[in-house]
Amino acid sequence: MNDIITTACKFVTSSIGRKILVALTGSCLLLFLVGHLAGNMTIYGGCAGCGGTSWIDYYATGLHSMPAWLLWAIRLGLLAVALIHIVLTLVLKYENYNARTHYQKEGTLKATLSSRTMVLTGVMILCFLAFHLWQLTFNGDPANCYDHIKAAFTNPWCSAFYIVAICCLFMHVRHGVQSVLQTFGLATRKVRPLYNIIAVLFGIVVCGAFISIPVAFLTGLLH
Amino acid sequence: MANLNLTLKVWRQENAQAQGRIETYKATNIPDDASFLEMLDIVNEGLVHEGKEPIHFDHDCREGICGMCSLTINGVPHGGKHVTTCQLHMRQFKDGDTIWIEPFRAAAFPLLRDLVVDRTALDNIIAAGGFVDVRTGSAPNANNMPVRKKTADAAFDAAACIGCGACVASCKNSSAMLFTSAKAAHLNLLPQGQPEKNKRVLAMVRQMDAMGFGNCTNQYECEAACPKGISVDNIAKLNRDYMIACAAEAVGVFS
Amino acid sequence: MNDIKFPVSDYMPSSCIPDGPIEQKWTKYKREAKLINPNNRRKYTVLIVGTGLAGGSAAATLAELGYNVKCFCYQDSPRRAHSIAAQGGVNAAHNYQNDGDSVYRLFYDTVKGGDFRAREANVYRLAEVSCNIINQCVAQGVPFGREYGGLLDNRSFGGSQLKRTFYSRGQTGQQLLLGCYQAMEKEIGKGHIEMYPRTEMMDLVVVDGHAKGIVVRDMVTGEIKSYAGDTVLLATGGYGRVFFLSTNAMGCNVGAACACWKKGAYFANPCFTQIHPTCIPVKGDYQSKLTLMSESLRNDGRIWVPKSREVAAKIRKGEMKPSDVAESERDYYLERKYPSFGNLAPRDISSRAAKEACDDERGVAATGRGVFLDFKDAIERMGKEWIDGQYGNLFEMYEEITDVDPHEQPMMIYPASHYTMGGLWVDYNLMSSIPGLHVLGEANFSDHGANRLGASALMQGLSDGYFVISSTLPTYLTTQKPGSITTAAPEFKEAEDAVKARIQKMMDVKGTKTPDEIHRELGKLIWEDVGMGRTKESLLHAISKIPAIREDFWNNVKVVGSTEGMNQELEKAWRVAAFLDFADLLCYDALNREESCGAHFRLEHQMADGEAKRDDENFAYVACWEYKGPGELPVLHKENLTFENVHLAIRSYK
Repeated sequence: MNDIITTACKFVTSSIGRKILVALTGSCLLLFLVGHLAGNMTIYGGCAGCGGTSWIDYYATGLHSMPAWLLWAIRLGLLAVALIHIVLTLVLKYENYNARTHYQKEGTLKATLSSRTMVLTGVMILCFLAFHLWQLTFNGDPANCYDHIKAAFTNPWCSAFYIVAICCLFMHVRHGVQSVLQTFGLATRKVRPLYNIIAVLFGIVVCGAFISIPVAFLTGLLH
Repeated sequence: MANLNLTLKVWRQENAQAQGRIETYKATNIPDDASFLEMLDIVNEGLVHEGKEPIHFDHDCREGICGMCSLTINGVPHGGKHVTTCQLHMRQFKDGDTIWIEPFRAAAFPLLRDLVVDRTALDNIIAAGGFVDVRTGSAPNANNMPVRKKTADAAFDAAACIGCGACVASCKNSSAMLFTSAKAAHLNLLPQGQPEKNKRVLAMVRQMDAMGFGNCTNQYECEAACPKGISVDNIAKLNRDYMIACAAEAVGVFS
Repeated sequence: MNDIKFPVSDYMPSSCIPDGPIEQKWTKYKREAKLINPNNRRKYTVLIVGTGLAGGSAAATLAELGYNVKCFCYQDSPRRAHSIAAQGGVNAAHNYQNDGDSVYRLFYDTVKGGDFRAREANVYRLAEVSCNIINQCVAQGVPFGREYGGLLDNRSFGGSQLKRTFYSRGQTGQQLLLGCYQAMEKEIGKGHIEMYPRTEMMDLVVVDGHAKGIVVRDMVTGEIKSYAGDTVLLATGGYGRVFFLSTNAMGCNVGAACACWKKGAYFANPCFTQIHPTCIPVKGDYQSKLTLMSESLRNDGRIWVPKSREVAAKIRKGEMKPSDVAESERDYYLERKYPSFGNLAPRDISSRAAKEACDDERGVAATGRGVFLDFKDAIERMGKEWIDGQYGNLFEMYEEITDVDPHEQPMMIYPASHYTMGGLWVDYNLMSSIPGLHVLGEANFSDHGANRLGASALMQGLSDGYFVISSTLPTYLTTQKPGSITTAAPEFKEAEDAVKARIQKMMDVKGTKTPDEIHRELGKLIWEDVGMGRTKESLLHAISKIPAIREDFWNNVKVVGSTEGMNQELEKAWRVAAFLDFADLLCYDALNREESCGAHFRLEHQMADGEAKRDDENFAYVACWEYKGPGELPVLHKENLTFENVHLAIRSYK
């Protein structure tokens, strides 16, 4: 037992071990993102105000009718995953900062903009998350979910904030997806270009779908 | 053959403790057939004649194999042309160019003078586990152990690392993962390296962490700056091998 | 100046060759050699200078055995020693190719290749341990070239009709050195080796006639320090940079060997300097070094110059592309002159043939000093891909340096100083004439005679370090009380003071010439007069000029900076001063050797067809030179060479 604990301690304090934990938690968050998106897409299923049934209202009430312990278990689980992801990244970032001495003239050959702005986009996503939770998760009645969303997105400032935040998410995910595969040791010279395509496609599809909602309200496609 | 006139912005620092600064020099009439280091030789000869101290830089074989030459040129170690600085030729530059020349920078590479840094940290990683522990004289006949040609070639590709440290100097985090992973992969791929594989991986990674290098964030600057084309596939392999080695150590299998 | 009469001494230390038939000498030696108990080994301190294949392998091996090893190199890491630049391969008599190789044949080829100026017993031992070297390196994980069946591949190399050369693409030296560096690091990690990088040996400390320590300069702090040990192993490589332009690394120098010579170690056969036939030609005055293109290229490349001077002139001026020269207009001179070896003729022969072609004004390259090495036929025969698999990195390197793609146009090559067969004299134990000073690898003289065959240098370095010194060192150490000498002995202080005084003297000149300028001047003189073809006249000319350059150095050198801290100008000046002290010796030896043999070619001594004319009657000896003080002629001691197993014959590669 001691051996296991010692190794685990060494693992979570090593550079590779922490990278793997960041990748693992990142993957969980990616999965959550996909799940969340699937739920969001129900908004295109019609609304109560326009004559039909509102799928998103069903979806929202459905989520809220889960037993409280399960709902909170999922929420706390997600929180823990996000916290590990954030804390470890910040620690790694701090170490990386200290490991470096800076050039008078900086040069970059290959590192993508998204890979160099991970912390920045991450912080943006975090701020957005706080706002998003306050606005849409903890306020409002799940039965009137559609109207609530409509109220938010018909405000152009709010929509713009959402769109900018999702663009940050795109940047974050674009590096994150291929990085996860490399960290798990699943990348080779032959498949790495493919992973890059997958990362970009994943980002475009997921983020595009998220952005489509405020855009749809602004353009009147949804009303 | 043409001659170039260049402006050099060079990092000068008398010793480890002194305050460093960028100084500007004119390099005139540089033959474009000259190598980058020969260009610095010409500048230095001029400085010495003026009674000034020459720009100190590391170099030795000048044929791209010893790994002693360093220099970050315009922000990129070795200038980013997939060759070492000693094999970088002036025909890569244009007349009138301004060239920034700085040392390989990383906290784990303390600066000694001007462009000279101490890369002993890389040796320490090898000393921790970058070897096959065989005693001289105890080896069996070389052909007793067949190695698949593909495996041998892959091991060679990793072993071609010259230990110059450009990967560290180019990394936005000053990580030594490419160096460490290349040596680990070279030995972990070969049948000779199997008995110590887990031990090696753990020892090398832990030593790497202890030397104050940063952490890899999969940006692949290292691969792009490497004069020998060492692949980041080695990093993926080290990540994999490290997970296996940790698992083995934790549960006591093969450790 | 007229002829020089060298003082000759009848005294010659024993070469300690065991008696008995040649194939049993080494076995017998090991059977009867003294041993040191494992528990006692750690009481002995071994100082090793240089971390190339010889020094590095010795350090690793002796540390494994339990000796207390201290190791020094001028580079920032032991992995950078110039052995790393060897491209082609390493020989061994494994006979994996089933083409009739054997220990005897490797021995025979090496003695013959060395033009019968090497010591038979040493060469036989070298051939004997050659297979162990390959076994050892493979076990260390050196990635040698392999066949699809998984077994080791071999290639043939200059001067051999067999495929006995093991290789790692064009980076064999690198892979072997990394193998031995890793073995060293393993022992450093275990605390058995204390490593001192960026540390240059300045002098040898001799106490009561025994080598017991060294004086070094810490190249970072500038501090002059001493280290004491029970024996000193010198593995500092060759003196090829006496020519200034050479394929050696910029830091390679004769300083340590020269210091030992001045302290009483005999310097043997300094005139045997190898000029490598396949280097990239000189471009201009600013050039700092020459780059070697592996000799293995001669396996598939064909060497030629135009048949007519007119065509050559057009190529030089850039009016004609080499690829446009018709077959009938090409002179494949090696194939013509040496049909059975062709382009694989030994190095000295190929180099001289290139010089002859250029002297005949048929040379190419802008300077007129170059010949073609053409892959056109090989690419047609085997395809571009196959060629790239064999030589890819060399082709890239060539293109990077010259901006010419060797797939399209032939390479241009010219001979350059590469390796030095001469070195400090050692006996069968690898011990010099100073008891306790052992010399390994290129720094000693023993195994290559007058010319080294391709892929033999790596073999010798590793043989000395891995397998020979570990058996021969106890022979000396058992006669010594471990740790009996410390740096408290007055000899250490004396040596340190002498080094400091010499440095101060250099610094105080405050003249006008940089060390490089003086080095270049010396190199030019030596290359012209003591290069590929030597005459009595040219040698006397060099001997008359060297003192002036030396004087110029001590009156006119400009060493900027201070003695404290890092000072690369001081490092250069120190090394140039040593080359200047050594240069006369090179000329003296070349003048004394009134014959042509191997790499030493005296124009006065050649056959009617231009081949080297050896004089076995008068010169079948090792010329060992003893230092007698500045301005004094060195004393010549002769170790007579006897050939009991190889019949002295005219070396013919026709």
